[in-house]
Amino acid sequence: MSAKIRTQEEIAARVKALESMLIEQGVMTTPAIDRMVEIYENEVGPQLGAKVVAKAWSDADFKARLIEDATEACQELGIGGLQGEDMVVLENTEGVHNVIVCTLCSCYPWPVLGLPPNWYKDPQYRAAISREPRQVLRESFNFTVPDGVEVRVWDSSSEMRYWVLPQRPAGTEGWTEEQLLPLVTRDSMIGVGPVGVVAS
Amino acid sequence: MTSRTTLPSPGSSAAELGEARREIENLVCGMPGGDPDQMGFQHPWEIRAFAMAVAAHQELKFDWSEFQKALIASIQDWQTANPDAGESPWSYYQHWVAALEAVLADAGLLSRTEVDLQTQELLALPPNRNHHEAHTEPIAVDLARTVHV
Repeated sequence: MSAKIRTQEEIAARVKALESMLIEQGVMTTPAIDRMVEIYENEVGPQLGAKVVAKAWSDADFKARLIEDATEACQELGIGGLQGEDMVVLENTEGVHNVIVCTLCSCYPWPVLGLPPNWYKDPQYRAAISREPRQVLRESFNFTVPDGVEVRVWDSSSEMRYWVLPQRPAGTEGWTEEQLLPLVTRDSMIGVGPVGVVAS
Repeated sequence: MTSRTTLPSPGSSAAELGEARREIENLVCGMPGGDPDQMGFQHPWEIRAFAMAVAAHQELKFDWSEFQKALIASIQDWQTANPDAGESPWSYYQHWVAALEAVLADAGLLSRTEVDLQTQELLALPPNRNHHEAHTEPIAVDLARTVHV
């Protein structure tokens, strides 16, 4: 048995081939595999993205650099990696809420956000979010964007991966980055959920 | 175990996930390189491969020790072939994939040749079709609605 080192592309294709063969033969089902992935999908990444957001919330200069060039600003924090190239951060404001999707496959800024959740790859999400974003957010994610706020949906591709800089919640004046960190959720950086609640 | 619907559902509670995770950790802590700290995933395929091995074990009811042995064998083969281990690139999950293939081939469920063929076919497809182009504008905008008070 030889396990010669393959390129990332080769090995990724081999794993995909294995998976589709096993599913075809009825040996296992996609939900069984997805279930396992779900357990670990938060393992890598979201904490890194949260770190970037907490810093942007506390440091206006960093935030300006992040919006100017997310790839470079993330590198300042030692966050990068091949697929993290050409990241663009979309800032949520009082008037605009951003959501990301990959309409064709599952392009995702995974060095920052970790592995995409299963639903992100689902054709249903991919199609629905660009058709009726407000409704999908409300009905599938139980997340209501106020009517007075515009919703923009951005399509990530392998050349340009988007992610969302949520608004810093009210009531956090004077908080340190460490205190802000746990408020940043993965879903808030995809644009499908709120940041954590500030306990008063 | 509830089956997963496509969009997030309250189906899997944190407690359920925690329980499933403990079961998996019991499996992996006896593996070579099974220190959870070393098992971090760096690439999406790694998590798929990891999940497939655990799912195969659960669905096919093969003995986990078979997979363990195959993994050890794959790593040992590699070490024999690369005595200068410090200098060669190392990928834990490539061994994981090799071990999974070995177990499934032993069970007569697939042949390496078939996997090779299917892999070549996938590699021949253009990656992400036309998704290499950057999309610099939002693909959908749902304008703010005037709120009448």
